[in-house]
Amino acid sequence: MAGKILATYEYTPAKVEKGYAGKTLYINLSEMTIKEKPVTEKMKEIFVGGRGFGLWYLWNAVSSDTKWNDPENEIIIAGGPICGITQYPGSGKAAVVTLSPLTGCPMDNNVGGYFAPLLKFSGWDALEIQGKSDRDVIVFIDGNRGKVVIEDASDEPADTHLLAEKLTERYADSEEDKRNISVVSSGKGAENTLIGMLNVSFYDVKRRAVRVKQAGRGGSGTVFRDKKIKAVVVKYKGVTGDSNNPADKEKIINAALRLHKEIFELDKLQNRMREVGTANLVEVMNDYDLLPVMNFQYGSHPDADKITSKVFREKYFTQNVPDNCWYGCSLSCAKAVDNYEVKTGPYKGQKVCVDAAEYETIAAVAANCGIFDPEYVIEANFYCDTYGLDTISFGNIVGFAMECYERGIINKEITGGLELKFGNADAALELLHQMARGEGFGKIAGQGVKNLREYILEKTGADPKLLRDISMEIKGLEVSMYVSKESLAQQGGYAFANKGPQHDEAWLIFMDMVNKQIPTFEDKAEALHYFPIFRTWFSLQGLCKLPWNDIVPADNAMTDEPHKIPAHVQNYVDLFNGVTGKNITKEELLLQSERVFNFQRIFNLKMGKGTREYDMPPFRLLGPATKEEYESRAERYDKQLKELGYDIEGKAKEEKMTMLRQYRESQFEKLMDAVYKRRGWNKNGVPTLETAKKLGIDFPDVVELIAKYQV
Amino acid sequence: MIKVNNEDLDFTDGMTVEDVLRIKKYSHPMITVIVNGKVIPVDSYSTHKIKDGDVINVIHFMSGGC
Amino acid sequence: MKIVKSRPDLCTGCRACMIACSKVLYKVEDPDKSAIRIKERSGAESGYDIFVCNHCGKCISICSVEAIYKAKNGAVRIDAEKCVGCYMCVGFCPEQAMFVHKDINEPIKCIACGACVRACPTGAIYFEEQD
Repeated sequence: MAGKILATYEYTPAKVEKGYAGKTLYINLSEMTIKEKPVTEKMKEIFVGGRGFGLWYLWNAVSSDTKWNDPENEIIIAGGPICGITQYPGSGKAAVVTLSPLTGCPMDNNVGGYFAPLLKFSGWDALEIQGKSDRDVIVFIDGNRGKVVIEDASDEPADTHLLAEKLTERYADSEEDKRNISVVSSGKGAENTLIGMLNVSFYDVKRRAVRVKQAGRGGSGTVFRDKKIKAVVVKYKGVTGDSNNPADKEKIINAALRLHKEIFELDKLQNRMREVGTANLVEVMNDYDLLPVMNFQYGSHPDADKITSKVFREKYFTQNVPDNCWYGCSLSCAKAVDNYEVKTGPYKGQKVCVDAAEYETIAAVAANCGIFDPEYVIEANFYCDTYGLDTISFGNIVGFAMECYERGIINKEITGGLELKFGNADAALELLHQMARGEGFGKIAGQGVKNLREYILEKTGADPKLLRDISMEIKGLEVSMYVSKESLAQQGGYAFANKGPQHDEAWLIFMDMVNKQIPTFEDKAEALHYFPIFRTWFSLQGLCKLPWNDIVPADNAMTDEPHKIPAHVQNYVDLFNGVTGKNITKEELLLQSERVFNFQRIFNLKMGKGTREYDMPPFRLLGPATKEEYESRAERYDKQLKELGYDIEGKAKEEKMTMLRQYRESQFEKLMDAVYKRRGWNKNGVPTLETAKKLGIDFPDVVELIAKYQV
Repeated sequence: MIKVNNEDLDFTDGMTVEDVLRIKKYSHPMITVIVNGKVIPVDSYSTHKIKDGDVINVIHFMSGGC
Repeated sequence: MKIVKSRPDLCTGCRACMIACSKVLYKVEDPDKSAIRIKERSGAESGYDIFVCNHCGKCISICSVEAIYKAKNGAVRIDAEKCVGCYMCVGFCPEQAMFVHKDINEPIKCIACGACVRACPTGAIYFEEQD
């Protein structure tokens, strides 16, 4: 029966002390049980919080044989000790960890919205959900009353723009109270594909609208809907600047005021995040030949000027409203399009507020599919969000299918009549609606690029080598939106990333390709050691990466290591010490991350992956995979071959392509060796026993596991 | 000939920092220009004259979703 | 409305205004809890700078929770109940006339009461009518 209460749990909300509530809320949906678990000092010491807690709980919950849709799989949502401070920009993030349907390995996402802070102030450092319900449910956590209920949600809509608004209305006592609600939800797309994502809501007081941020990558929404969760709702009233009970608030305030002032003075001269958000990157990437065009074949396009931030700024983004996704974020990158009238599909004619559009989305759904239409971007962005679909994976799938179609590898018989030519926005949107309905070619394509490739191979007898070269996935996850062909370091940044090719581990293209600051293998390996580890830290704490290097102090260029943004690293040391009362150094900050980073690598190993062979990219990530690509930048590639000492006089294009390929593949292998060595891994990409020991993650089961891979 | 980020670029008379940035298509807003080891202030990009043989580093910072 | 204006050349740095202000706002005599600040100039220049809100209202649009508003008398005020203590307004104040204290959740800000004007022995701060 809809609305029926299936389980209730009453608790005394723990008081947050120095950033921790000290407890985790555990829910088992198979058994309909709710209980609390202690957050131990050892957990805090080794895993810190956020992604660290998520990986630790998941490690203990699953075996090597666990599949994403087994009841043992979990979804863990956790902030981290710094999460929820209101003073420092970007401090409201939630880490989401689960076994991915795309990779079979742990997936982590770092998502905005109010959920993680409100969860913590409700008394919970983490929410751990295991089991599978036999009917649709809503989990409601009331942090003021100290009550958790699981309700039957059979009659509720699944799609986020309907559900998040409805639940915000339902659980808020008044208009004023809506800001105290955050809803985690997904949508129909997540039910019928493997690329489902999670939306995390917050109430935008000035727009009077429910807004959503996305835990996009790797199918977390698919797991969520497989567990039959329609929504998890948290309600907590009473957030102040002291809700974390920090040990030394002055440290936090001083860092915060420094950054607010920097943003006030410099953002307009730097990335204009407050004005256009990450969309500013469209024009930058296009200029540097880094914007994925037509399934990563090319890096720029003459029509890209139709989808730049300038266009969105002038015609679509609503200005002069605060666009932050947690209190105190003066960087405010979360742009929105208000009163957008939906043009297609089941919600045609509705006027909606769309959280659009970020760089990754614009690049993926538009440029990568050869579509250069801003209104299509908003339409696709709206539907991906409400259906619970990852825009990056969606854009990759469509781009890959379009290339296969244009090359004659697939035809209308396979696509169910869809004319999947580059630039066909109508076909892309129809495919999107099919994914949500679980029908036709959409159902097949929604399984992700890797599975789609297998399907095409089975149906068509196409050349498997060509299809691998042009299917932009590694470990089963689709590649995010930067062309890495001319940056060896970025190729490694993508290919070695723990969860799959997402740029949040390392973005080194400018340092490597443009600035030429890391010329040797050792330099690149050092960068691929430092940055992934440093960047992991944000997701342990409940922090956003953007305020680290999307705004830099005026004198940053004069510092010893400008790419590390030393002043901001010091801010993070101050924040951690200010909240927890500990006294870590920046070296200890890195150690916190290095532990979790290596633990995640070992977790991949536990799931039967995590070795060298799983770090191999499609050739298109390394260089021109087809004649068309070589031809389009022939001058560049010819010049490179000559400089490398190849005799290319009179050589056919195919021969030159083979030379370039052999060279680049050998460079990539050398990079792997150098990076693995720097990280303390063996040649097979497995952390050595010494590394595990040094990091203090040499638990018996870890040692037993990695010992098998030491030679 | 001048060097820009370790690559040769033809020198032309009267060339300014702004010209170099335009030729190289360096449009990223977060850059620092260093000519022969000296940082050039943003407001002199259009006036600072390049000499033949200058070594120029245009350091790009990361940004955005990356 | 009347706003507080200053003639820094007349300031002797006695900080009587800061004491008076903290008394009105927080019922303590603590210059660290004052909404007007006197700062001694550094370097070659001698004398004092006076930082005080001119009620321009730019902070109103910076606030994401609508905690800053224009009161009936024209003064820009903070609703302490709504304020989440994020201090964006402090960092974005063009006059650098909003302040923070670790024991106070909301920013410390002038309410245009005139206590500082009455406390000033030299006339370095005064009230002036403004539209």
